[in-house]
Amino acid sequence: MAITLSTRPSGGAAQKRRQTPLDAAKRRGSEPGTTRSSRALTNLFLLALIVYFVTPLWWLIVASTKSEAGLFGGTGGALWFDQDFALGANLVELFTADNGLYLTWIGNSFLYALSGGIGSTVLAVLAGYGLAIYRFRGSRVFFAVLLGAVMVPLTALVIPTFVLLSEVHLTNTVWAVILPSLLNPFGVYLMRVYAFEAVPTELLEAGRMDGASELRLFFQVALPLLRPALVTVLLLSVVATWNNYFLPLVMVNDPKLLPVTVGLGQWLSLSRQGAAEAQVWNLVVTGALVSIIPLVISFLALQRYWRGGLSLGSLK
Amino acid sequence: MLTACSSDASTGGGGDAAPVDASSCTNTIVNADAPLVSVWAWYPAFEAVVDEFNSTHDDVQVCWTNAGQGQEEYTKFSTTIEAGSGAPDVVMLETDQINSFALRDALVDLNGFGAADIEDDYTAGAWADVSAGDGVYAVPVDGGPMGLLYRQDILDQYGIAVPTTWDEFAAAAQQLKDAGAPGVLTNFPTNRDGAAFVQALLNQAGVEPFDYDLGESPTGLGVDIDTPDEVKVLTYWNDLVSKKLVANDDAFTPDANTKLVDGSYAMYVAAAWGPGYLQGLQGGSEGAQWRAAPLPQWDASDPKQVNWGGSAFAVTSQARDQELAAEVAKGIFGTEAAWKIGIEQGALFPLWKPILESDYFKDLEYPFFGGQQINSDVFLAAASGYEGFTYSPVQNYFYDQQAEQTASMARGEITPEEAATSIQDAVDSYATEQGFELK
Amino acid sequence: MTSADTTLAAPPAPPRGAPRGAPRRVSAHARRQRWGWFFVAPFSAVFVLMLVVPLAYAFWLSLQTKTIAFGSTFTGLDNYVKAFTDPAFLEGVWLVTRFSLVLIPLQMLVSLVAALVLDALTSRFAAFARLMMFIPYAIPVVIGALMWGFLYSPQFGPGAQVFGLFGLDSPSFLAPDSIFGSLVNVVTWQWAGYYMIILFSALRGIDPTLYEAAKLDGAGAFQTAIRIKVPLISSSLVVILVFALIGTLQFFTEPQILRAVASGAISASYTPNIYAYSLAFSYSQFNYASAISFALGVVVFLFSYLFLFLTRKRNGVF
Repeated sequence: MAITLSTRPSGGAAQKRRQTPLDAAKRRGSEPGTTRSSRALTNLFLLALIVYFVTPLWWLIVASTKSEAGLFGGTGGALWFDQDFALGANLVELFTADNGLYLTWIGNSFLYALSGGIGSTVLAVLAGYGLAIYRFRGSRVFFAVLLGAVMVPLTALVIPTFVLLSEVHLTNTVWAVILPSLLNPFGVYLMRVYAFEAVPTELLEAGRMDGASELRLFFQVALPLLRPALVTVLLLSVVATWNNYFLPLVMVNDPKLLPVTVGLGQWLSLSRQGAAEAQVWNLVVTGALVSIIPLVISFLALQRYWRGGLSLGSLK
Repeated sequence: MLTACSSDASTGGGGDAAPVDASSCTNTIVNADAPLVSVWAWYPAFEAVVDEFNSTHDDVQVCWTNAGQGQEEYTKFSTTIEAGSGAPDVVMLETDQINSFALRDALVDLNGFGAADIEDDYTAGAWADVSAGDGVYAVPVDGGPMGLLYRQDILDQYGIAVPTTWDEFAAAAQQLKDAGAPGVLTNFPTNRDGAAFVQALLNQAGVEPFDYDLGESPTGLGVDIDTPDEVKVLTYWNDLVSKKLVANDDAFTPDANTKLVDGSYAMYVAAAWGPGYLQGLQGGSEGAQWRAAPLPQWDASDPKQVNWGGSAFAVTSQARDQELAAEVAKGIFGTEAAWKIGIEQGALFPLWKPILESDYFKDLEYPFFGGQQINSDVFLAAASGYEGFTYSPVQNYFYDQQAEQTASMARGEITPEEAATSIQDAVDSYATEQGFELK
Repeated sequence: MTSADTTLAAPPAPPRGAPRGAPRRVSAHARRQRWGWFFVAPFSAVFVLMLVVPLAYAFWLSLQTKTIAFGSTFTGLDNYVKAFTDPAFLEGVWLVTRFSLVLIPLQMLVSLVAALVLDALTSRFAAFARLMMFIPYAIPVVIGALMWGFLYSPQFGPGAQVFGLFGLDSPSFLAPDSIFGSLVNVVTWQWAGYYMIILFSALRGIDPTLYEAAKLDGAGAFQTAIRIKVPLISSSLVVILVFALIGTLQFFTEPQILRAVASGAISASYTPNIYAYSLAFSYSQFNYASAISFALGVVVFLFSYLFLFLTRKRNGVF
C-alpha cells in the first residue's frame, strides 16, 4: 500500500525515542558503497540545492533591511544591503502602521490556521479511521466522491459559498474563513491509508473481545498508533489554512479580519496605485519576512516527526 | 458571532441587510447614537477625512472600511451584488466602472436625492462622467486631468526643450537618444493597468470608442474603435517603441517605479494624482528635479484635455437608508476641511469647485516640484477643459482586449491597423454575445 | 489485510463477553455500518455543506445564461458546448497539460533525487539541506509568487547582478517566450521540498535489513537506490503524483499574482482557472464562469483517472 512500514524488534521500539540519525546509520552498517568522491558529489549537489532554495529568502531578508527609497534606488544592488540599514525602522513601522493592523493580521492567521488546521485534522482522522477500519457499505463510493471533490476548481465554489454564507449572515466574520477550511479531503485520504496500514484489526478484535467499546478502542488503541500520520496531517492542514488567500479575499471585507496573506496583498495593491502615503513597499517586504517566521519555527519544532521511521508498535 | 438579521423598515431600504456593526469600522465612531452608514473607499489619508465628517455630524456617522483597492474592491462588490447582500451603503468607484454597475441595478439614481442641487459644484466633465442617460449615479470626488511631468535636470543636461506638441515630443525622444542618454524619454505601457492611460491618449486624438446611453437604450452600444485616429495614435507610439525611443514596461510595477526614480524615464505622462505617486516613491531623494507642463497636443491651436482615473461615491441599491447614504456620499468630500486633508495628505485632485477654483488651490506651491504652482500651470486648465468621456458597460473586457492587442503590437507581432481591427472585432462580438445591439 | 475480510464473512453472532446489560444480537455487519458512518459523519456534514451544496448551486448557475437584454434564462448545456469550443478555454487546457507534462516529472525528479541523497547521508549538513529545501513550503504561495515577481523584475530584481557575475545578460523572465519556464521554476521552488519530505519519510520507513542484504549481494549505493528504495516507495510516489496532477491542472495562484508584473505574457485566460476567475469577477459572467470551472473539472477528472489507470499496479485506489 501507500506507506511502507518497518517492524523492529520490540527492544528497539523502547529505545526509539533516544535514537539519533547517527545511531540509525550505525545500526544499518555503513551505507553500501559510498566512496569519498561520491560523497563529495552528493554534498555538492546538496549545496546547489541549498543555494537554489535559499537565494529568494536571502533576497527577502536583504530587502527587509532597506527603506522604501533604498528598495528602488539603493546602492549595493538587489542582493546586498543598502548603505542605510533600516530593518529596525521597518519593523517599527510595520507594527505601528494602521494602528497595529499587521499584528491583528498575524493574530488572525494564527486563529484561522490553528482552528481550521486542528478542526480539519480532527474531522480527517475520524473519517479516515472510519473508512479504513469499518468497511461499511458505501465507503468505496464515499471515497470515490471524495477524490472527485478534490478535482473541482475552487473558483467554481466561491460565489455559491458566498451566497450560502451570506444567507446565514456569516460573511465578513471569522466563520466565513474557518468553516470552509475544515474540509481536508487529502487529509482524509492520508489517514485512511495510514490507518489501514498501522492499525491491525486483530488488535481491535482483541479489544472488542475484552469488552471495549468502539470509541474506547479508537481513543486508546488506534489513536496512539496513528500519531505520526496525525501530526503530518495536522502540519499539512495548518500550513494550507495559513496559506489561504483566495477564500478570505472574497469572504471578508473588514481589514481587521483578514489573514496576513490577504492583508499584505492589500498593502501591495495600495502601493502599486496609491498616492503619497499609501506606498508601503518596504512594509510589504518586511511583513512578508515576518509572516513566514511562525511557520518556520513550527517546522523546526516538529522536525523529529519527519526524521524517525514510521514504525508499528508491537503486537501483544 | 451570528449577528441578528433585521430588515429595517426605513425609506428605500434594499435587500436583507444586517445592521452595521460599529466594531467593524476601521475608524472610531464619534457620536454613538447616530445611525451608521457603511462606506467602502481606499483613498489615502481617508481616515482623517472620515473623522472630520463624523465630528461635525450628529445625525449620521460614517463607518468606513477599506475593502481593497481598485479591481479587488470591485470583485467584492460584484460578489455582493450577485449574492444580494453584503454590499456597503456607499461605495467608491472609479468613473469607468459606473456604467457597468448601473446596468446591473447596483447603484441608486441620485436624482431623487438632491443631485441637481450639487451639479453646479462640479465641472461639466466631472458631472458627465457620473451621469448615465438622465440619471446621476455617483457624486464626483477626485479627478485625473492629464499633464506632463518631467525631469528638469535631465532635460537641462541634454539640452532638450519641453515639448508642447506630439511632434515635438517625438523629436525630443530622438534628441535624447542621439545625445547618448542612458534612459528614454518616457514609458508606453501596454499592460492591463495602463489600459485607461492609453484610452485617454487615444481620446485626446479624437477617438470616442463608445456610444452608450443607459437611460435611453440600455441594450444599445456603439463601438467605434477601428478609426483613423486610433490608428494614428497607435502608430505614433509603436514607432517610438520600435525605435527604442520610449520604453514598453508594465505600468505600476516595481520595475517601472525603479525607472521613474532613477531617471530611466525622463518624463512621466501623468494624471493629476501622478505627483502624489511620485512623491511616495522618491522619499525625498536628492538630485531629481521634477516639474510639470501641459500635456502635448496633436494640434496646438485646438487643444483637447483628457482625464485618466478619478473616482466618485455611489449609493448602492442595497443601502438600508438610501437618503441617509446619499447625504453621506455628497457630504464626505463636500467641505473645505475635508479637501485640505485630501489635497495635502492624500495628494488628491479635487473636482469640487469651491476648492478647485479657490485661490488656495490655485496658488498652492509644491515643494516636490521646486515650488512650482502645478495647479495653475497645468492641471486647472486640464480639468476645466475636460468634457467627459463615455464608458461602456463592458469596460473590463475592453481593457483586457486593448492591453492584449497593444502588447502584441509593441512586440512587433502585429501592425497598429491589425491591433485596432482586432480590438474592434473582439468587443463587437463580445457585446453581441452579451445581448447588446450594436449601433 | 486479510483478517478484515474474514471477519466480514463471519456469520452474525453476539460477540463473547458482550457489554454489560442485556445481551444484544448485534451483528458484526450492522456494527460496522453504524460505527463506520458515525466516524465519517462530522466530516461528511462539512463536506455536504461546504462542498456539495455550493457545487450543486454552481452547477445550476452554469445551466443558465444571463444577458442584459433577456435576464436569466435556462439554457441547459449551451454553456458547456460553448466552453468546449471556446478557443480561450481550449488553449488554457493545452497550456496546463503542457505544464503538467513538464513540471511534474521535473519536480518529482528533483524531489526523488534529493530524498534519496538525503536518505543516504546522515550528516548535519544533510539535515540542514533538508530543512532549507522544505522552507519554501512554509512560505504561503501568494507571498512566494510576490517574491518571485520582484525577483524576476529586470530592474528591481537581482537578475542583472547574478547573470552579470558570469558576464551574461539577464534573460527576460517575464516575456511571453520565457514565462512558461519562469512559472515552472516558481512552482518547483515552492513545492519540491514538500514532495521531498513525503518521499523522505517513506524512505525512512524501509526496513534497513533490506539494505544489509543488498550490500551482501554486492549492490552499490546507486543500485540500492534504484532497485530497492524506489520500488518500495512507488505507491507513495503515485499518490503524490495524482494530487500534483490535479493541482497543476487547476493552476491559478502563481500566474494570477504574476499577471501584475507580466500581463503581456499572462493574459486573462492564460489557464482555465484564471479564465473562470476573469469571467466571474472581471466581466461579471457568472454563469459561463461556472461552466468553465466544471468543464475544467471534467478535464481534471479524465486526466486523473487516466493516470490512475496507467499506474493501477502501483496505486492503492484501483
